[in-house]
Amino acid sequence: MISVKNITKVFTDPDGGKNKVLDGVSLEVDQGEKIVIIGPSGSGKSTFLRCLNLLERPDSGDIFLDGERITDPKIDIDRIRRRMGMVFQSFNLFKNLTVMQNLTLAPLKLKIMKEEEVRRKAMELLDRVNLAEKADVFPASLSGGQQQRIAICRSLCMNPEVMLFDEPTSALDPEMVGEVLDVMKKLAEDGMTMVVVTHEMGFAREVATRVLFMDGGNIAEENTPDIFFTNPRTARLKDFLSSVL
Amino acid sequence: MNFQEQFHTAFIAENRWKLYINGLGVTLTVAFFAGLLGILLGTVLALMKLSESEKGKFNIWNFLATAYVDIIRGTPSVLQLLIMWFIIMASSRNPVFVAVLSFGLNSAAYVSEIVRAGILAVGKGQMEAGRSLGLSKGMTMTYVILPQAVKNIIPPMGNEFITLLKETAIVGYVSMTDLTRAANKVSAATYEPFMPLIGAAVIYFIIIKVLTLALAALERRLRKSDLR
Ligand SMILES: Nc1ncnc2c1ncn2[C@@H]1O[C@H](COP(=O)(O)OP(=O)(O)O)[C@@H](O)[C@H]1O
Ligand SMILES: [Mg+2]
Repeated sequence: MISVKNITKVFTDPDGGKNKVLDGVSLEVDQGEKIVIIGPSGSGKSTFLRCLNLLERPDSGDIFLDGERITDPKIDIDRIRRRMGMVFQSFNLFKNLTVMQNLTLAPLKLKIMKEEEVRRKAMELLDRVNLAEKADVFPASLSGGQQQRIAICRSLCMNPEVMLFDEPTSALDPEMVGEVLDVMKKLAEDGMTMVVVTHEMGFAREVATRVLFMDGGNIAEENTPDIFFTNPRTARLKDFLSSVL
Repeated sequence: MNFQEQFHTAFIAENRWKLYINGLGVTLTVAFFAGLLGILLGTVLALMKLSESEKGKFNIWNFLATAYVDIIRGTPSVLQLLIMWFIIMASSRNPVFVAVLSFGLNSAAYVSEIVRAGILAVGKGQMEAGRSLGLSKGMTMTYVILPQAVKNIIPPMGNEFITLLKETAIVGYVSMTDLTRAANKVSAATYEPFMPLIGAAVIYFIIIKVLTLALAALERRLRKSDLR
């Protein structure tokens, strides 16, 4: 479904130095797969994820979505992004809009659904995360866990084929992590294709079809979760796992 | 002369009050339309400054806007008015129009900085969230970024307008009769400077005080709606 071929990304530091953040990363994601990416801070996980929906443009290499080369400069990026949901560490709900408006803005403005239809879908989604009664409040009055569940609903309202998660629980108080992970687990059970950057090893074990270890701009190791956690091959991964587990 | 006589000489005799009223009219007209022009052009300049260039490429919009703001901020506004009056618009028969143009072009430079800062303060996560849903940059600007930026922009914009209102007093340099020049004329004609000058100062003060209070009330309302 998604096919990443040898992408690189270099950032220029303020002092002019070159920082090679992605050093030729390749990955195949099949329909329905749940890929979990772990790795130390600064290893390029976010950058990689943001390249998938072209929030960052790779400097070289290609990305294909169902065979279509989305790194082609001539392609309509907005049309591609409609098919990929993204959930951010800091939720990024639209602060000037109510919860309902947050969910319906894109489907309505992009004329994907009729107003009635999109409102019904939005209510269904909110109901599924037990926040239907919050439809008409503004994001600022909600807890972090509630905001993140709504951010997930906002993405789902576009009927995406893939969902990208960038450390969705890292900004949450510990008691709210569970409610967000539960929503993500349900989504996984429903068959959504997911790419998740997280430090939640329990989630990785339980949900992932494959776990990737990212280090220094490369995928240093990759395996099914049982082997990945019980039998890490590289010393780097062993060190990393012993430091987080 | 006692107070009453002075007052009479300054405001009542020879229908002098009409001079102040007409002057005030010029002051408010110039300030209002220059403010409007400043907001429109200033917003365009801000968007030009915020436009992104493709990596490493020269951004002509950004360059033009930056140069414009630099030039306006680097020269006295009296001089800008004189240049507009005697050089650029020398053939115009409409003094108010020339003044509006000069003050509006001047104000736009300051407004552009206010708008730019207001947009930048919104935080890039909001734009990224919009783009990740497939909304275009323009749509995200229109429905998400600008509505939030307005809240950051209104307070400093009010201050800019107050500055502009006072600065219009320099139209006397090009022999237009605004409130300040009206007072000056009366003081010259009567050899009694106290009443006309203090009177004009009081009128400016009252108008600006009312504006300031209205602005503060608006700010309170905006803050409240932040916490809804
Ligand atoms: N927009 C950017 N400009 C410059 N450097 C960046 C930018 N985004 C990320 N980086 C740098 O790239 C490196 C990898 O960042 P990131 O992908 O966020 O790592 P991770 O998500 O694994 O912590 C870091 O050194 C970071 O400072
Ligand atoms: Mg990150």
